[in-house]
Amino acid sequence: MSEERKEIAKVTEGVQETRRDLLKYVGLAGATALMAGPAGAEAAASAVSATAAINPADADSTITEWLQGHYVLMSDEEKKKCIDRLEKRYSAQYGKKTTVSDAPPLEGVLFGYALDIAKCIGCRSCVHACVKENNQSRHDPEIQWIQVMKIEKGNFSFSADKLDEGYPQPSKFGDHGVQVGGNAYSPVGGLSTHGTQSYYDAETVPEKDFFYMPVQCQQCEKPPCVKVCPVRATFRDPNGIVLIDYNWCIGCRMCQLACPYGARRFNWGKPNLPSEEMNPKTHYFGNRPRMRGVMEKCTFCIQRTRENRNPACLEACPVGARKFGNLLDPESDVRKILATKKVFRLKEEFNTFPKFFYYVG
Amino acid sequence: MTNEDNSRRGFLKKAAAAVGVTAKTLISAPSDSVSSESAKYVNDGHLQQKVMSQKQYVLMTDNEKEQMLNEILSNHYKELA
Repeated sequence: MSEERKEIAKVTEGVQETRRDLLKYVGLAGATALMAGPAGAEAAASAVSATAAINPADADSTITEWLQGHYVLMSDEEKKKCIDRLEKRYSAQYGKKTTVSDAPPLEGVLFGYALDIAKCIGCRSCVHACVKENNQSRHDPEIQWIQVMKIEKGNFSFSADKLDEGYPQPSKFGDHGVQVGGNAYSPVGGLSTHGTQSYYDAETVPEKDFFYMPVQCQQCEKPPCVKVCPVRATFRDPNGIVLIDYNWCIGCRMCQLACPYGARRFNWGKPNLPSEEMNPKTHYFGNRPRMRGVMEKCTFCIQRTRENRNPACLEACPVGARKFGNLLDPESDVRKILATKKVFRLKEEFNTFPKFFYYVG
Repeated sequence: MTNEDNSRRGFLKKAAAAVGVTAKTLISAPSDSVSSESAKYVNDGHLQQKVMSQKQYVLMTDNEKEQMLNEILSNHYKELA
């Protein structure tokens, strides 16, 4: 072979390798895009750019995160690596030392929550404390896990034992427009949410002629959201809390459709969490920053409750309307409320057995 | 013509065309604008208000409370087992 031909062969070999590599990459990108659609293509691109980024703060997520398995099924070593990776990324991204706990469930505990609607004044302190504690998206979009419903007084009866009396009667429980009793045409043995408003904007609360009912995840004992999740990304932990592995969630929103309480929130876009407002004490299944395309909801502040602390909404309530405790302990606040107060649950007809109880003090 | 179709050049032409079509499809696919995203968040909130309204809730009797608690606790122990 002449020198000239050798040179050409060298150059051609180089060209062929380059071309083959290029085709490989194009094929891979095309296949990924076709399988996952436009959102997937964008996500794949962001994952690739994240890996290539030198500064972890620039990375939305890494290829390793994309490929990691369900957290519950990981080995201890994999869990440790995963936590280290997240802590490093969040610390760089938000410019503050961030911890991601994976504290295990408490032994012999089944959490329950009780809320006194006669005390609630609709101030939304719980909502704001929840947003702050759980690193929810702040502005545009704003995500809130608790929705406070304003309900007209008079839609509320505190007595179920006088349902057969036929006509409404005044109640001994005070001026709530309370009706006791009723008839076949006008059942008043409880609460009617007719005319509910969740986006009230009153200058002062409580408003005359209204009472308030905060609604959040009811932590069902038989949760329909868990049943419908096609990938088991959402599950019920031994403490009775329904959790989500954000990295395993595929964003299909089946759980949102299945939830009878509308308690789940989907990240349609990238959450907007300013660094200065970020709570650096997080839990893997709880308040760690979420990404676009995943579901989120109340976890009874798992990052706090697994350390024997109360949820943030309870601590923020200025009137002590919220009670939290262990349903397995007969001496707990919640069990005592169940034993002595007038209690109702939301949508009990669905047999979801919510562990969030409303009561009248 | 047959020769050209089987040649490397022919293959590359087809490959380039396929990539072009794929890229065009991806680029022209509808993307979520900021305003439509905001509408979706608002819609999620309204959905909750909708599902929670027009409901009647009845206070539980002592018997019902006991049954409920038993069911919750038995289900809990069943799940743990």
